[in-house]
Amino acid sequence: MTEPMVPDVQKLSALIPPTIGPYVSEADQTFDAETIFDYIDGAGEVYRSYNMKLLVSRRFHKDGKPDIVVDLFDMGSPEDAFGVFTHDLDGEDAAIGQGSTYKAGLLSFWKDRYFGSVYAEEETAETKGLVFELGRRIAGAIPKEGPKPKLLSYLPAEGLVADRVCYFHNYSVLNYHFFVADGDVLLLEQTASAVLAPYMTAGGKSYLLVVGYPDEAKAARAYGSFAKNYMPDAEKSGIVRTEDRRWTASAKAGDTLIIVFNADSDQFAMNQLASVQERIKTAKKK
Amino acid sequence: MSGKMFTRRDFLKVASVAPLAGALLPALKGAAAGPPEKVKVVLVRDPNALDAVGTPSFAVIQRMLDDAVMALVGEKDPGKAWRKIIKPDDIVGIKTNGWGKLPTTTQVEQAIQRGVMSAGVPEGMTSIDDRGVLKNAIFQNATALVNARPARTHHWAGMGSCIKNYIMFVPKPSDYHGDTCADLAAIWNLPHVKDKTRLNVLVMLTPLFHGIGPSHFSKEFTWEYKGLIVSRDPVAADATGLRVLQAKRRDYFKEDRPLQPTPHHIQLADTRHHLGVSDPNRIELVKLGFEEGALI
Repeated sequence: MTEPMVPDVQKLSALIPPTIGPYVSEADQTFDAETIFDYIDGAGEVYRSYNMKLLVSRRFHKDGKPDIVVDLFDMGSPEDAFGVFTHDLDGEDAAIGQGSTYKAGLLSFWKDRYFGSVYAEEETAETKGLVFELGRRIAGAIPKEGPKPKLLSYLPAEGLVADRVCYFHNYSVLNYHFFVADGDVLLLEQTASAVLAPYMTAGGKSYLLVVGYPDEAKAARAYGSFAKNYMPDAEKSGIVRTEDRRWTASAKAGDTLIIVFNADSDQFAMNQLASVQERIKTAKKK
Repeated sequence: MSGKMFTRRDFLKVASVAPLAGALLPALKGAAAGPPEKVKVVLVRDPNALDAVGTPSFAVIQRMLDDAVMALVGEKDPGKAWRKIIKPDDIVGIKTNGWGKLPTTTQVEQAIQRGVMSAGVPEGMTSIDDRGVLKNAIFQNATALVNARPARTHHWAGMGSCIKNYIMFVPKPSDYHGDTCADLAAIWNLPHVKDKTRLNVLVMLTPLFHGIGPSHFSKEFTWEYKGLIVSRDPVAADATGLRVLQAKRRDYFKEDRPLQPTPHHIQLADTRHHLGVSDPNRIELVKLGFEEGALI
């Protein structure tokens, strides 16, 4: 039987151990999408943009040692847990959950619909070990894995920098990773889902953006908006050489919009578009 | 958002003729308006601003602030300098920032309060507040504001700036989060704030130049800069602090790694809201104190 995805504070809290090593935990703090600003001010917008449902924050304390803080989010869906994880991919792979990074005392990971952050206020050999242990125990308490966004399956493999692919729903997050425009030129509007994938080839770095819309009509409007605002000089060809002598190309496939930025040749850009279109076609047949 | 969008291609057009345009990214949409004269920003640094464990020294901070205010207004006496900024009958709200991981610090708050009182304002006509400003009687009746906060990178606004510090003057801060806080400067035009700010102090004692995790903080990404940036113009103060943060990021990461998201609210405060000056070419930077590691 499929487990219903109902956010539950007690269930979320139960995934976090009460103690770790010599540390004991303080009282939990709980936040939702409205109250998260009380905890992390404007940074809450990042988690809201991924439709966060609940956050349980638990602080671990031991006199004379740096505190360790666990922030465990119920994102409501595995896709959004994956997405918020991809917001910051810097760091070494920690081999925890379905994806993880560690840097400067901070462990981030995702599993199923949960995103976890375990942070030592000062990084020492001891706190690093405890941070990893906490992460492993929390991930271990989450009973199953969840699927990644289906848009990822449309990405051609050759040249893909797979550990830098990010997933999101609005233009502010897109601009965080790759500035496109100071408005919602792609009509993402928090209702679309998108992956931005960097590619590294002999011709240098390019980006592939694949956006899934709720329906074909919305995708058509977004395609028109991008053509009008970003590449009016492309006319109907859907491809243009930009001011940096690179190529930008766009195409639509049903409810999906595909854009290649910064390609070193028109041929590479068109090949990328065709490859995604083919993958979408294959997926629809299944 | 109305009118033509500013796109990556607009930036590429500018970048092809001005390689350093990156710092201005989205704000290049509008040309800066206003008078050609420069605005003054004072950067003051002291090697003794922090003690061995990183606690600010009140005496040193007070001297740094007084020196900065004197340089700002062109006076040699601190009392006279403060009186050029604050009048004895002013009611003065000192807007601080109490974020636990990197606060304004009580030493800076008290140095400002003492400076204000040296202009003849009774202590009872001053108040230091952050999140309670809308309910604080001194702030409700304030004739003058002094704005003080630490410089740091910010998860959603790009930079925690002097401009951003006024977000507590609105009942629902998230109303100003659109386009990654692009229009924060609009807050400065609200009736209870407009034209009241006499001084901005961007605290650069231990700035945060990179953030991680939900709280966007790690001590590893702070450093002892031991400075204050002081100006009447919040935009110029922020633009100067931003240059320091960007320089530190280049130094640390060994590559040009722009802030994400872009702190375009600073440039837009200039080009869209005309609150002040963001163009370094229109800022007269006066540097006081030690030069080593100044980065700008």
